[in-house]
Amino acid sequence: MKIDETDIAILRALQLDARTRYTDIAKQCNVSVDTIIKRYKKLKHRGLVKRTTILLDPRKFGKEVIANLSIDTEPACIDEVIAFLREQDGVTFATHSMGSYDVFAIAMKRNMNEMNALKETIQSHTKVNDVQTNIWVDQYLLCPQNFELEPLLEAKR
Amino acid sequence: MNELDQHIAETLTADARLSFRKIARQVDKSTDTVINHYNRMVERGEIRGSTVVVDTAKMGYEGVAAFQIDVTTSRGAEPNAILDALIKMPNIILATKTVGEHDLLVLAVIHDLPHYSQLGKEIAEIPGVKNISSNVWPSSEEICPKYFII
Repeated sequence: MKIDETDIAILRALQLDARTRYTDIAKQCNVSVDTIIKRYKKLKHRGLVKRTTILLDPRKFGKEVIANLSIDTEPACIDEVIAFLREQDGVTFATHSMGSYDVFAIAMKRNMNEMNALKETIQSHTKVNDVQTNIWVDQYLLCPQNFELEPLLEAKR
Repeated sequence: MNELDQHIAETLTADARLSFRKIARQVDKSTDTVINHYNRMVERGEIRGSTVVVDTAKMGYEGVAAFQIDVTTSRGAEPNAILDALIKMPNIILATKTVGEHDLLVLAVIHDLPHYSQLGKEIAEIPGVKNISSNVWPSSEEICPKYFII
């Protein structure tokens, strides 16, 4: 999907602050506010932009312990294990992954006891061979601007 | 956190650009009250910021990768310095210290397999990186954008 410099300016501004005013982006791009609004609508219409969101700190919402789980399963039972994981309270994400283990998952719990209980529940599944837990410490760093947008630029004539 | 805070958080998670005036109308409160509550949530760190949720596949990314990194403590390598280097690298969206099997985790968006391999090599070149265990999956699934951008 191709985009141009104005689209990139809109995306870059909203990546940093989704509440940036259209007038500010317009000034920066030297185009009219209408152009920015039209372009933003088009980005949404084409599906490149799904929505905007605020970024919340899970730890401030009662999810004190965040962990990523690396799970090794019986080879033919990956989908079954993923379905089981997604049913568990506190499992935010679980996917079939290619690499050193079969399933990558992220879980959030109120405290370490609950996280350990979740790990034990997962380990007790007959098709699960091994669960490795990595508990996240300190605030995790996020950088939405690290998306590379420039490769999407239309080739210059 | 009270009911109004919860409502503000939920509403802005679906659309961060919604005006405070509209939120105020939904809950039958003044715009100033909504703004005050929002500002307090930012001050308390409950709201870290806001961003745009993009379709990673449509952006030309075929996959998402998790790199789990072991750090060597010799030669003065410092995990925080490695973390800072990682989060400055293109396509790395999230980086955190961990305790357990590995020392650091990063999540990155991946154009294709050569890019996956290249990014792994670049991470390996950071001083203090001892070992990397990596995994990749198709980019079509959202992890949880309100917490992790993707």
